[in-house]
Formats: sequence, structure tokens, C-alpha cells
Amino acid sequence: MVEPHHLAIGSHSNPPHTIVVVKWAVVSMARLIVSLALLGLPNLAAADEPQVTDDRVDFAKQVLPVLSAKCFLCHGPDAAAISDLRLDLPDAATADRGGYRAVDRDQPADSAVLLRIHSADDPMPPLDAEAQLTDAERELLSKWIRQGGEYAQHWAYVPPRITPPRSNPAAVGSAAIDAYIADALQPRGLAPAPRAEKWILARRLALTLTGLPPQPEMLDAYLSDDSPAAYERLVDALLASPAFGEHQARYWLDAIRYGDTHGLHLDNRRGIFPYRDWVIKALNENLPWDQFITWQLAGDLQTQPTLEQQVATGFVRMNPTTAEGGAIPEEFQAKNSFDRTETFGTVFLGLSLTCARCHTHKYDPITHEDYFRLLAYFNNTTEHSMDGNKYDYEPVIKAPTDLAQWQKWQQWQQQVNDWVAAIDPQSPLGDAAKLPAADPSTLQWWRQWTQLDAASKLQLATQDAGNPLDLATRASAAHWLQQREAMEQGWSTTLIAKELTPPRETRVLNRGEYDQPIGEPLSPQPLPALGSNWGDLPPNRLGLAQWILHPDHPLTTRVLVNRFWSQVFGAPLVRTPEEFGLQGDQPTHPELLDFLAVDFRTHDWDMKRLLKQLVMSQTFQQSSQWRSDLDDPANQLWARGPGHRLDAEVMRDLALVASGRLVQAPGGEGFKPFQPPGMWEALAHPGSNTRVYQEDGQPGVFRRSLYMYWKRTSPHPMMTLFDAPSRESSCVQRSRSNTPVQSLGLLNEPQRVQLALAAAHRLQQLETDDNGRLRDLYKTLAGRAPSELEQTVCLQLLADFRQRFEQFPADARSLYEANVTQLTEEMDAAELNETVAWSQVVMTILASDAVIMLY
Amino acid sequence: MHPQTNQSPLREQQLLQTRRQLFGRSALGLGTAALAQLLGPAALANAAATGNSRTDIPSASATGHDGVHHRATAKRVIYLFMSGGPSQHDMWDYKPKLNDLFNEQLPASVRDGQRITGMSSNQANGLPICPSKYKFQKYDNQDRGVWVSELLPHTAQVAKELCVVHSTFTEAINHDPAITYIQTGSQVPGRPSLGAWLSYGLGSDNENLPSYLVMHARSFHAEQSLFNRLWGPGFLPSEHQGVLLRSQGDPVLYLSNPPGIDGQDRRRQLDALTALNQAQHAAFGAPEILDRIKQHEMAFRMQTSVPELMDYTDETEATLQMYGDDVKIPGTFAACCLNARRLVERGVRNIQIFHRGWDAHNNLPKEHEDQCRDIDQGSAALIRDLKQRGLLEDTLVVWGGEFGRTVYCQGGLTRENYGRDHHPRCFTVWMAGGGVKPGTTYGRTDDYGYNITDADGNVLVPQPNKDSWTPGTMHIHDLNATILHLLGIDHRKLTYRFQGRDFRLTDVHGHVMHDLLDSRAAAS
Repeated sequence: MVEPHHLAIGSHSNPPHTIVVVKWAVVSMARLIVSLALLGLPNLAAADEPQVTDDRVDFAKQVLPVLSAKCFLCHGPDAAAISDLRLDLPDAATADRGGYRAVDRDQPADSAVLLRIHSADDPMPPLDAEAQLTDAERELLSKWIRQGGEYAQHWAYVPPRITPPRSNPAAVGSAAIDAYIADALQPRGLAPAPRAEKWILARRLALTLTGLPPQPEMLDAYLSDDSPAAYERLVDALLASPAFGEHQARYWLDAIRYGDTHGLHLDNRRGIFPYRDWVIKALNENLPWDQFITWQLAGDLQTQPTLEQQVATGFVRMNPTTAEGGAIPEEFQAKNSFDRTETFGTVFLGLSLTCARCHTHKYDPITHEDYFRLLAYFNNTTEHSMDGNKYDYEPVIKAPTDLAQWQKWQQWQQQVNDWVAAIDPQSPLGDAAKLPAADPSTLQWWRQWTQLDAASKLQLATQDAGNPLDLATRASAAHWLQQREAMEQGWSTTLIAKELTPPRETRVLNRGEYDQPIGEPLSPQPLPALGSNWGDLPPNRLGLAQWILHPDHPLTTRVLVNRFWSQVFGAPLVRTPEEFGLQGDQPTHPELLDFLAVDFRTHDWDMKRLLKQLVMSQTFQQSSQWRSDLDDPANQLWARGPGHRLDAEVMRDLALVASGRLVQAPGGEGFKPFQPPGMWEALAHPGSNTRVYQEDGQPGVFRRSLYMYWKRTSPHPMMTLFDAPSRESSCVQRSRSNTPVQSLGLLNEPQRVQLALAAAHRLQQLETDDNGRLRDLYKTLAGRAPSELEQTVCLQLLADFRQRFEQFPADARSLYEANVTQLTEEMDAAELNETVAWSQVVMTILASDAVIMLY
Repeated sequence: MHPQTNQSPLREQQLLQTRRQLFGRSALGLGTAALAQLLGPAALANAAATGNSRTDIPSASATGHDGVHHRATAKRVIYLFMSGGPSQHDMWDYKPKLNDLFNEQLPASVRDGQRITGMSSNQANGLPICPSKYKFQKYDNQDRGVWVSELLPHTAQVAKELCVVHSTFTEAINHDPAITYIQTGSQVPGRPSLGAWLSYGLGSDNENLPSYLVMHARSFHAEQSLFNRLWGPGFLPSEHQGVLLRSQGDPVLYLSNPPGIDGQDRRRQLDALTALNQAQHAAFGAPEILDRIKQHEMAFRMQTSVPELMDYTDETEATLQMYGDDVKIPGTFAACCLNARRLVERGVRNIQIFHRGWDAHNNLPKEHEDQCRDIDQGSAALIRDLKQRGLLEDTLVVWGGEFGRTVYCQGGLTRENYGRDHHPRCFTVWMAGGGVKPGTTYGRTDDYGYNITDADGNVLVPQPNKDSWTPGTMHIHDLNATILHLLGIDHRKLTYRFQGRDFRLTDVHGHVMHDLLDSRAAAS
């Protein structure tokens, strides 16, 4: 497809920006026009066709994708012996092959590639190959060889470097984002869309950052504040809201396949929700992502790992597991490690590693052995490969059961830290004045003291031997310990990772078969294709974390910021967020992606800062109205604001907000709202402890959707109906489907009927008229008053339903009684008719695109 | 300068951007072929070259026949899935010599080091041979005849329509991986199901019903689990997930209006909703809004068409009798089979019925008798019913499970009672209609029903291999390739780009079983 960046002179491999600017300046106007004509607007007709112009061919951008798609299957990293020509390696491609070269740099016309791709008798690719070259691709390859056949690395394997935007080289932060976008718009004579109206922005911001509509006070404050800083104030308030972490966590939980069950066979309960709560907490506290990642991959390998660091390793344990009778433990040891390795590849590297499980990768330079060296990092945890169908599938640790308890725990820690800080100065160690006089057992005590973490210091403080502390201090230690014990009584277990010593042996598995290990035992090692100067990395998961966080790592930051961008703009810059390898799409705006990647890393991996930059950009604030002046349905130019249907969770949360019943109970075990009877029983094994679905009572059922219980083999139907993944495997981008069964869900699902009744009841309590009630509802859900049309339509519908129920009150009563189980209101007949009539208007509005879409 | 207007931005709408959206446009009665026709060849070519996915689907008008890649002999498929692993030994794969080997150990030479599950690998009585207690009879099928046990008296009567394959095999030996494998082409969760692939490739002929429907039939021994992934979309757009047609509550989830709300109420609501959404579209122009308006209308029609589907008052007594008494009990296998026929008549092309309870590790006779009673008459009636309505010739019916069961006994062995463990190395699957050669008995196994053999009794050890296929064998990838072939789809060409790779149901494997095709299908 035509990427706007074809015009961008500065590419990844370009030297610093001064030179780029010069280069840009010398581009002739004529050539610019030619390029424009050829490249055109994003235009489906030109999709995937390389554009051959008089310009120099860009190997990495233009040629490599063609070689990868059409040649590497046989002449790539996994070339078989019979076709041992490797076109992915410049040395091999240009080597003398007995009188000829595949790519002959001295005599380009003699290059075998050139001859064969044009040969009628003996063509390449062979006639029976599934992938054939197009004429344009043939021309491109020819031109590349004529120009010298130079190779360059795949863009995503070269560490990102900042190339300042041409349209405004000095721009930083949000302005830089807009400038990169302008770099592609200006040559097309396009301007960004105008700024969206304020109410739209407030709603867009709140839904984007917190997954909830703006609270009325927040909205009013913003709408009535005409100062230039008003928008930023709103952004800051939303970033500071506890709802922020809840909403952002959901994307991460999709990616790392979080579920409340083991996922295979019996699909029994698994205790790991404290991990989910920790994710929310970490995002709300804005834990820098280098730590966020390190703790998850290797929290247990920190010196004196904290509770949080250990809970975070639940990430490692997130793979589906089984305890099926007759299953072979060695087979599942291998399968569990495959899953972890490949999920790691998707989540952090944006690389599909699955091919290399069985053989060397066909396209990307990842050998079969590379895969198993990477797998060796994960193949070394202590848990049994079969889960025993146990909730507390060991190793586990006790952790707070919800976020309120996490907070209590944190306060306790703070107090204990203060207590420790008060004692530290008494230490004679290192104090020449006190040291000689100290008793040996006391010294021994102090030495131990210095080595322990705060919690263990409490234990030491209650021991007698050598204890120099006064009785009051000892008593306070006992008090803190007691308090902790009391707290921990109510805690729940959560799965954690522990490193195995001595390490489990990892060997290459022939064809990925668990019972066919071959070759020597392998030590863990990063993927060589991504570089080698990583310094000393410990050969364990901590080393793995250090590797992907290394400043020269080409992928991690790009992959992360690409997803952050998608969370904000509704689509990623690299449209294949799960694949940054040779077969993946190129970024719509490579320089922008790299700018964000470098900026993120060099600013402490600060997610809130990055998101703030994104939403502060003019690009984000554009109107999302489709433009008649350009053909860009996929919004690859980002010349309009985000617009798409909201995710399943957000849609349900909106109904909760409208009802006024949303329960802010952060964290805790997943809740079970109404679901049609028999859904689990129809699938489950009789021995499964998730066979019977037991709906929770209120107020639990009115919690945010993020906390809904996630049975991986049968998630809540309203979630899967609206594109939520099963969480059996990693999902870094949900589809957005549009189906008739969704319509049925929107208008008939009992939770929604109930919430609409609750909303109707809430509206009735307002001291206002029908217009006022409608205004309240629209303000809550859409951030604005209803339009005249909306008002007319809705009030007419209300009038119709009123008439209906006046005539047939039994119908109103039957609707009310069938759905009132979670509501408590008693009302007389007139009130009931009115509530039910309103509820059906609410249902309709809740299903309308003004509510279920972001725009 | 912003040439921004309030006009409907037609240009953008006309170009629905991605492949994902194009072929993801669910239902609306538009299969890929019809859609291609609607949008014109240019749009299709454009779409093929963009977006995240890629298939090579020419339009029906271009190819002049009904089929995506070649002429389809089957317009639709009904898959009767026997979850848990039905015992071929007690139903299909007759081994009379075993009667003399009762309770003797399975010779090591027969097992030949093949792995067996942890459930029987260490049992005290070793691997005692367990002849079937059931009588078999040979039925003429105009081929070499087919042996069917007394457990399937009705199915035996339609033997002439069946293509029975004794040499189906898989590598997976445990339920979860095996069922995931046969239904998604991979033992590990995450891939699209067969049904989702078909939905993606075939689209729908019906504007009032979903294109891919799944039923769960009642069983008295529902020992093994099913998983949403078996009809899930994997990485395909999620509109390709199977829609459950249920026997409890609403036949389609959320089909019924809330109590007290009737069709007229809903009509008023939808009219209001359409007005609201049109206003939203006028303001923002996103094409998905218009699409959603259509989906709401289709849902409204489904509210009529689904209850009508489940209402058998228009069936004759003769038809109901053919399916047996069970047919009057919602949720039975027989009722699911009748539903399937009714769906087929209404243009639904992709139907699966899951029947659980075939995992007979112990008490196999009691359990399989119940199981067979559940499915026998319904399956046979379905074949007959389709046949007499002229639908069998372009409707493919598939019957089978995720693996077979062992010749040796698991647990205590008597002549009358026994159990059998999982056996992936050979099992029986049958197909009928839709271009399959009727009256066919295909594939052979050794005297123990343990290994696949050739006609001379030599053991074949086939591996799934993209380059070569072992005649006389049918890997589950081969089965899936054949199902797709009959439906006019080349299994090598129905692909979806994900993680930089063109994924397909059969991975890099699968061979169309040309030996099983009738002359029409073979010519396709």
C-alpha cells in the first residue's frame, strides 16, 4: 500500500537531521510532483504495488518486502540445501557461484536474479510457486540491482533514532507529533481537520484515558473554562483518576492473555487476580515501564523481591495449562514454554516466533536454535507442568485481595519503613566511635539488620539475642508484625514464578516435538538478529528483561508505543501490531514511531507522559468527521480524529454510568453478572469447578466490566459478542465487528434492560420535566444536550411507550418484574408505567451510535 | 483551508478500507463472491492488496460457477461432531479375529513403541485385548461393503449413501489438544475454527439468519469439555464466530424482546434508533454507522425467522417419525438434526452439531449404547430427509470425533464390560452427500484395529506431510482439506494474514482426498 512516508527523505538509516534538511532542500520540484502523482493519495488501487520512480530505490522499504514475500520461502533464512542461495544475506547473494553471481554488483546486467526473474524458460519464482512477482516488482528488483544491489537492514531491526520533522524540525512533544503528521499532509496540499468541538473532546478524552464518560462536574468545569489551559487541566485530571489504570490495564490484560481459569480441559479456577490488581495499581501509580516489564518478567530475581515484584511475575504463569488425565508432563512442559516464548515475542518484540519452533524462520533471521535459546529463559521455572486443576497452582504467594487492601498494605509498609528509618541511625556499624564498645552479639545483630528487608527486620527486632533495641521499640515491632498477620489473614493466593536451580536443560526439539531433543544443552541467549552488544546479561529472565530494555534494542519501545498510539487513536501506526518482522506492515509514519519510541525511553518509560503528549496533540484533537476531500478510509494519514465503536467493556460501563449504579470497588476477584442459564454447563466437564455459573448479587454485579470473571473457554457472551478475545492466546488488537446478533444484545440483554430500568428510575427522581431528563441522559452518555431531532425522536418514542403501557399496564409490569431482581424500588402502577416507558427510551439511546461510538 | 462540509463524504464511504472490513462484512446475505460482484472487480483487487489479510477469492461472476476457487459440489456442510472419541471398534471397524484373543496382551510389535496415554501406560493388567461385544453385520454399499455394529441400526440402513473412512488419524492423544487440532488445525488454542474459516470463505445465502450456527446436543454422559474456541474466530474478525442455536432459553442469545415488549414496540424502537443513527452518520460520516443500521434490521428479521425455524408445526408426521421420538424434545441430537435440515432449507451454509459423551474409559457398553441411541436415528434421518428433498447432493454431512479408542482395555475387562483409552492412530469418520462418493469403504486397519494398513496388510505409518500423501490414509488435515474442496475452496488459498504470515486451516499440510470424491467433485 502507499504509505505517506514515501515522501519522507529522512529514513531510519539516515544520519542526523541537518543532513536530512539539506537533502530535502535539494529535492527538485519536478521530482516532487512526479512522486506525488505516482504515490497519490492513499489509494487502494496502488496498494502493495511498489512504485518505481527515478528515485533511488530504498532497499529496506521497497525491495526487502518483495524479496521476503516472494523469494525467502526458498532463498531465505531457512533455505534448504538444494536451493542454498540465500538472498537475505548480502555476502551470499553477491558471492561467486561458479562463474556467476545472484547479484553482480560489477556487472549488474549479468546478475542471475535479473536473468531469472525475466526468464521465460526457467523463471524465478518457478511457475508452480504460489507467490509470483508482479511486473512492477520485477521492475523494482531490476532497478535495485542496476543501482548497485545494495543491502540494508529491515527497518525494525535497526534501533530507532530521532529524525526531526521536516515541517518543524525544532518541534518537541505534542508539536513534534503534529509536525510528523504534517510532513505527510503538506506535500499533498492537505491540512489537518479542524479541532473538534469541546464537548466532543471532553468525551473523547475521558473515554480514551479512563474508559468512562466525563463526570458531569468535570465536563461543566471544562466547558465553562475558556482559558487555553482548560484542556490540559482536563487531561491531567483524567490521568490522575483511578479509572485510568483500570481502563489502560485492559489492553495489557488482552495482550498477556489474563484469565481467571486455567484455560484447558477442566478449565478450573485459577487464583491470579491479585496480579490483575497489581497491573491497575502500577499503571495508576505510573510505575515506569522498564520496571513494569522487569518485575513481570523477573520480579523473583530481584534482590530481596518485594511482594509487588513477586506478584508481578504472574505474567510468566499466565499461559493456559491443563491437568488432563493421561496427558504427558514432558509434552506440556514443552507446550507451556512454547506459549510463554511466543507470547513474549508478540508482546515485547512484535515478532511471531511460532515458525521457529519447528524450523528456522522462513522470513526473519531467527534460527531454530535461536528460538530454543530464547525459550531457555522460560523453561526454567519451578512449577509442575500440569496444574493439578488447583486454584493455588504452586508456587503461589499471598497477596491483597483488592486494591483497598493493597493500599492498606502500602500504608503499613510506609509506617514500617519510617520505623526502620528511625532505628538505622543507632547502628554502631561503620561508626568508629561506637564500634569498639559494642558487644559481639549486638554487632552480629546489626549485621543481620543491614541485610534484611523491612519486613524481616521486624522479626529480628522481636528476637532477644543481641537485640540492642529498647522494649518500646521491640513492642512496636511486634505490633507491626501482628498487624501484618491480621492483614494477611484476609489475603488471597496468586500464582508467581520462581527460578529453578539447577536449571532445567533446554535443547532444540526436532520439529518442535517434545520427545525429540537434539544437540547440546543450550544456554539462554537473546536473538542474535537484533544485535549483539548488550553487555553482560545474566542468563536468566532478569537478563531477558535487561536485553529488551537496552537502549539499543530495536523493537521493544517501538512495539509498546505503537500499541499506546492505537489505544489513543483507535488504530496503530504499524497496522500489524503483532508483527514487526519482514512480513509485517511498514509504519504509516516511521519517523513518528521512532520519535515516540526514543522519547518514551529517554523519559523514564513514563506512560502517562507519553499518553499526555498524544492527547495534547492537535492530531488527536481533530474532528473525526469523515472528509470529502480525501480518500483515506483507514485514516493512514491521521487527517481526522479517531472514530470507532467502543469496546465491549466500555459499552457496558456506559450503561452502568447511565443507571447511576456503577460501583467503584477497585480490584478483587472477578464478579459474575447475569448471563443466560446453561452457557457453562453446556460446555463444561462434569468435574470442572467452573461448570455452574452462579450469578453474583449486588452491588458486585455493578462493578466495572474489567473485573468480570474471565473463564477462558467461555467468557461472558456480551464480551465475545463485541469482539473481546478469549484470552487463551495473546491479542494485541481486537477486531471491530458489526453483526445482527450484536443488535439483539444491545436491545435485549437482561443486564442492559435492568440498567435501563435503573437509569429510568434515576431520571424520574430528578426534579425536572421530560426534556430535562433527556438532557441529563444525553449529557451523561454523550457529553452534550440532545439535538432537536434527537429530542423529537426520543420524546415521541416516550409518548408511544406511555400510551402502550397506559393501555396495557400488565406489559409494563411483566417487564419490570422480570428484570427487577437486582433493583429494590417499590413503586405504584403509574410510576411503574412511567419507569418502564422511560427504560425503553434509555435502551434505545444506549444502543445508538452517539453512545456506543467514540468520535 | 478546510474543505470541510456537512455533506455526506461519499468518497470515503465508497472505499471501504481494509480487506478485514470487506470480507469481514458479515452476513447481510453477502458472501465474498456476491460482495465482489457488488463492489466490482477493481474494488476487490484493491482490497486484496491492502489491509491486514489476504485471500485470493475470485468472484462467482468471474468464474461462472458457485464456488470460491472452483466449482463447489457442496453448497453447505453439516458437521456432526462426536466429542470424546467414539469407539470405532464397537461401531465400524470390525475385527472378528479379536474374539479369540480376549484378554491377551497386545503384542509389542503391533504397538511398535507408539506412545499411549498416562491413563493406561502403567495399568496393572497391561494392555489386554478387548474384542467388541457387539454383533456386526455387513451391509452392501456397492463397494466392498461396510460392516456396521448393532449399535447403529438406522445408520446402517443408509450405508449406500455413506463414505466410511477407517484410516483417519491424528497425532494428538488427549482431548483438549485433539479436539482443538481437528477443529482449528492446531493443537494449541488461538487459531480460527473450521466453521469460522468457512464463514470467512463462504459468507451467507440468508439475510435473516446467521451464516454459521452451532448446536450442542443433549448427552447423558457429557464427560468431556467443549470450548468456545471450537467455533471461535481465532484471529479472524470476530463476526465469523459461530452463533449458538440453543435449546434452552432463547434459541439465539438475546433473541427475545424483554417481556412486555412486542414486535410493534421493537419496530418503533428501531425506527427511532435508525433516525438517531442517521443523524449521527450525517454528522460524522463513518460508514460503519450505515452498516449497523442494516444489522439492526437483520436482527429484527431474525426475531421472526428463528422462532419460525424452531417451530415444527409444518413438518409432516412421517418426517417427525423418521427422526424418532427424541425429535420432539428440544436439545436432543434428533432435534438438532431436524433443525439442521431446516436451516439448510433456509440457506444457512455452515452448521455444526456437537454431541458429547463419547469418552468411554470405563463402562463403554453402557455409555456407548446410550450415545448411539442418541445419535443413530437422527443421523440416518438427516441423510434420508436431505436425500428425499434433493438436498443431499449439494449438502455435505460429516460424522466423527477427535480420535478413536484403543483395542486394549482400560480398567477391568470382562466379555460384557470394558473401557477403552484414546487412540489417535486410526479411527472412523464418515461423510455423505455434497460430492462425496456414496457407498464407499475407504482405508484399512490391521487385525487389531491398531494401525492403518494397505490392502495387503502392510502397516502404513503416514506422517502429515505437505509434499506427499500416503494412499489409504486420511490425516485430519486431509479431512479438512477435503471438506473445503467440496465447498469450492482450495485449502491452500483460503488464507488470512496474521503475524506476517498467510495462515490457513490446514497449516502447510493437507491433501484433498480425491479417492473419496464423486465424478462431479473430482472434476472441480
